Amino acid sequence: MEKKVAVYICKGCDIGASLDVGALSKVATDECNAAICRDHECLCGDAGREMIKQDVREGANALVVAACSPRFMTDVFMFDGCRTERVNLREHVVWSHEPNDEDTQMLADDYLRMGVARAKKAEVPDSFEAEINKTVLVVGGGVTGMTAALDAAGAGYEVVLVEREEELGGWAGKFKYRFPLSAPYRELELVDLKPRIEAVESNERIKVYKGATVGRIDGQPGQFDVAVKANGSSAEFRVGAIVQATGWKPYDASKLGHLGYGRCPNVITNVEMEELIASGRINRPSDGKPARRIAFIQCAGSRDKEHLPYCSGVCCRVTIKQAMVARQYDSETEAYVLYKDIRTPGQYEDFYRRAQEDSGIFFTKAEVVGVEETGEHNLQVEAKDTLLGDRILVEADLVVLATGMVPMAADGEAIRRFVDAEAVVAKGEAGAQLEAAKKTVEELQHVEGTSILNLTYRQGPDLPMLKYDFPDSHFICFPYETRRTSIYTAGCVRAPNDSLVSMEDGSGAALKAIQSLELAAKGEAVHPRWGDASFPDFFLQRCTQCKRCTEECPFGTLNEDVKGTPQPNITRCRRCGICMGACPERIISFKDYSVDIISSMIKSVEIPDEFEEKPRLLGLICENDAYPTLDTAGLKRIRHSAFIRFIPVRCLGSVNVVWIADALSRGFDGILLVGCKSGDDYQCHFIRGSELMGTRSDNIREKLTQLALEEERVRLEQLPISDYERLPQIINEFAEQIEEIGLNPFK
Amino acid sequence: MSEALLLKPDRKFVEEIVASGGDDLKKCFQCATCSVACEVSTGRTPFPRKEMIWAQWGLKDRLMADPDIWLCHQCNDCSKKCPRGARPGDVLAAVRKQAVQYHSAPRFLGNLVNRTKYFPLLYLALPAILLALALTIREPLEQILPLGEPHEALYAAFFPHWLLIGFYASFTGLAFIGAVVGVVRFWRSMRVADAASDSGPPALGVVPSVVRTLRSILFHDKFAKCTDQASRRWTHLLAFYGFVALFVVTIWATIDLYLMPVFGVDSLYPFDLLHPMKLVANVGGVVLVVGCVKAITDRRRSESSATTAFDSLFVWLLLGVGVTGFLTEVFRLAIEGAGQSGLTSTAYFTYFVHLVLVFGLLVYLPYSKFAHLIYRTVALVYAEHSGRNSDGRQLLPAGDSRPQLESHADKALEAANA
Repeated sequence: MEKKVAVYICKGCDIGASLDVGALSKVATDECNAAICRDHECLCGDAGREMIKQDVREGANALVVAACSPRFMTDVFMFDGCRTERVNLREHVVWSHEPNDEDTQMLADDYLRMGVARAKKAEVPDSFEAEINKTVLVVGGGVTGMTAALDAAGAGYEVVLVEREEELGGWAGKFKYRFPLSAPYRELELVDLKPRIEAVESNERIKVYKGATVGRIDGQPGQFDVAVKANGSSAEFRVGAIVQATGWKPYDASKLGHLGYGRCPNVITNVEMEELIASGRINRPSDGKPARRIAFIQCAGSRDKEHLPYCSGVCCRVTIKQAMVARQYDSETEAYVLYKDIRTPGQYEDFYRRAQEDSGIFFTKAEVVGVEETGEHNLQVEAKDTLLGDRILVEADLVVLATGMVPMAADGEAIRRFVDAEAVVAKGEAGAQLEAAKKTVEELQHVEGTSILNLTYRQGPDLPMLKYDFPDSHFICFPYETRRTSIYTAGCVRAPNDSLVSMEDGSGAALKAIQSLELAAKGEAVHPRWGDASFPDFFLQRCTQCKRCTEECPFGTLNEDVKGTPQPNITRCRRCGICMGACPERIISFKDYSVDIISSMIKSVEIPDEFEEKPRLLGLICENDAYPTLDTAGLKRIRHSAFIRFIPVRCLGSVNVVWIADALSRGFDGILLVGCKSGDDYQCHFIRGSELMGTRSDNIREKLTQLALEEERVRLEQLPISDYERLPQIINEFAEQIEEIGLNPFK
Repeated sequence: MSEALLLKPDRKFVEEIVASGGDDLKKCFQCATCSVACEVSTGRTPFPRKEMIWAQWGLKDRLMADPDIWLCHQCNDCSKKCPRGARPGDVLAAVRKQAVQYHSAPRFLGNLVNRTKYFPLLYLALPAILLALALTIREPLEQILPLGEPHEALYAAFFPHWLLIGFYASFTGLAFIGAVVGVVRFWRSMRVADAASDSGPPALGVVPSVVRTLRSILFHDKFAKCTDQASRRWTHLLAFYGFVALFVVTIWATIDLYLMPVFGVDSLYPFDLLHPMKLVANVGGVVLVVGCVKAITDRRRSESSATTAFDSLFVWLLLGVGVTGFLTEVFRLAIEGAGQSGLTSTAYFTYFVHLVLVFGLLVYLPYSKFAHLIYRTVALVYAEHSGRNSDGRQLLPAGDSRPQLESHADKALEAANA
């Protein structure tokens, strides 16, 4: 369809008073050849909108709205069948620069040029249609999985529930008592999962496979083909989304020899204690005599760099529960709790208080040094740094180690590495590669056969693991999200939880799964580019099978054929554009976001010649965090250098190196890249944007040196969204630095 | 590092503390706000935090050998600031009660005297029976012993002075022995505990420590540091000086009656109303009664301290002694001065009651709340002696640090409450 570009300049919010709007209009019409250019006192008002609508009716289809930040009035400037390009004259120009200044006007002119350049090239995405199956697969039938299944079924979706054991219920089903799940959070509760299990098993929408495991999952969201092995037989079916609620396993206590486990028969774990509780009497394993003095060692292998570095969050309450049960079974029992800190969050403080009131439960902070037998398998616990101010010895009949939770998850990426290395070894070709592969096989031996989901993804058969081996993808902002689209984790596989939080997780993950299915049915992306209908297009004739895209995609979107050609799975894609940034052949593009579009924007900027001594800097900034940060700085009227031009990018990982080369050859003097924090506690919406850019900018630096350019001309910064005071400082420092270095000799 | 301590948690002891006023003991989670809030807590061995954990774990031996529990005046500054409502001030009071019983000799008496159900028997019946017995052996003894002329005073006719002094001297003598044994036990246990923790050589000789302690007691200067219930210091000063005055007069009366004639000075007994000793006695009596009444009303009004039978029995007993003493005097004046001889039997009865109450007060002194007189003094002497009280060893820097700390604790508490 023929493009008819229409430019609208808003004069409200200080824009009209700070800029020469007439001159700006001339840039649009005379220089950029826009068919229409109009200005208005208040473009977002009814009259302004009506003015635009009139033009749309008369054929305008590529709209450029030069007004406020695209983060405001987003819906107001959306018109059916048109693409609207927003030029941020308010936050990024008039609110952050000297009004009616030559440089400010030049900045506005350039932003308008860039906007029009993009409007000319960007297209409205085609809609894609695929047949979307809306069944939800829930893996794991504990409290979390059952809740997810019931909630998804309750919302009208078909559910398949796969449980490894012969009965539903998981860990909670094995426990006799639990700590209270409702106010006043003081007394023990008996566990009764029967009603929930019956509700699941009798629900018409829920198909339950017990004693079953997932053999294979092929395909993509909306089209997952699942093979299940259940008690010798097998079943195959299609689902749309997956909730992984595989729960937890106790930390391996055999590694806790220093606390007597395995060495002394009367040292047991809290899980083994649950078995004693379920048996109705707490007798010592060594001689079956009643255990009247029970020492609980908290954080056994938890919050310990040698073992589990994290806190499982529930062991304190479990110990308090077990001590109370022991006292309830036999009032002569005494329980000694040796803790690092008592962590009973929220209302559970009252549960702790309740236990404290009991004269037979003794608490002290302590660092346990060791556990020794004193004869007849009696035990003596030695502890230091206690509240009593001494090293202490506590005599006990039974020692219970409060071990933490380990997620029931497999490390998909490690399994993939293992399999690849095995393949290399099997091939047997000599060389350094073989040695490395042999080493990898040895190191990763433990992951063999651990897969749970058995996904046929190029990047591995299970979810990638993140901090502490939990497969969560964004633990702060977006719970339940993983790095595999439409696969959500819930319960203890996501984070150590109690059953109350696990049930909440089950509901949350079920809702997320439903959301992803409905979006997939519309051909739209899920979080974080929610509702984005664009998708990457691969011009495969020119593909060199370098595999960068298949390896760098954070979401495992791309599979490979035997040669290594990428095979896109559109519904897995989150539209971050990292593949586009990675591709050296520049064959990946979106309709409204491509290497060419951004290059055109870069080239549209007018570069003053060297005698004007006005440097030009290019800022490629993450639209999720850095761009809003700059908006905030404008809102706070914090000034920054008027020599920089910003282009928002979907993710810093989507920055293709060619843009930097284009900018430098065009005459830009410096390039500032601003992304999100990387590392274990990353803040990147797409996991590894800044990290990937970091790797690529190493190559860029090499290039710069080859071109005899100073490597300081390209700078990479990581910025939290809250640092609006820091960003203008970064810009100004960079501008000063470039002035010191001098102008680009390629001008 | 010192050797590891083998814990023998004594659940019974914990339950006893909880039962005798320390109900909230177990709520403590060792934040140490109490030790910061306490104005009399020392830098070297701050309390009551450590006492709270010892009590929670039932470490009886440690608490019984701890002088710090006796440095507390139960002003409850700490209880007011405790974020968890564990009421350390009341817990220490309960621990002190246990300590009195623990150190008492014979120990069974310590246990009996503090059982509410034995109060009527031990405080009324037993002394009444003993006094009655004394009266019945009066005449046989008068015939055997060379007692000279009986004194003509009103009450001496009923209960002669020689019998009175003989009776009380022997029983308080026994109590005195019990008290000495208790003090020795207490002192020794403190020494043993300190030796175990390598606390170093004594900071001050015993005699100067006693002098310092007595000076401190005379001015109640440590008591003055407690802020929450500052008025209690005055209450205690009244009762204390009232008791001291009456004690001195009693001793003087005995000297006057029996020693003065030996030196050839005529006994002036019974003293004239304007005699200095009589003035001291009457003023002391009034001060004592006022102090006791104030103590009782203060405790009634205040919700910040738990009052146990252990506490109230003592105050009521003291008040009873004061009131019956005055009644006895009033009846004597009425009979001797105004010739109301019809009141004689009432007067004798009142006097008898007075004697019964005095028995409870003095003879059970080492076993009742009154024992704080002994143990607190000994603990203060020990604190001076061992140096745990000395400013030089305070962990906190001298100067304004305490008020700052306090205001910090206040702020934290306000924030917590908000």
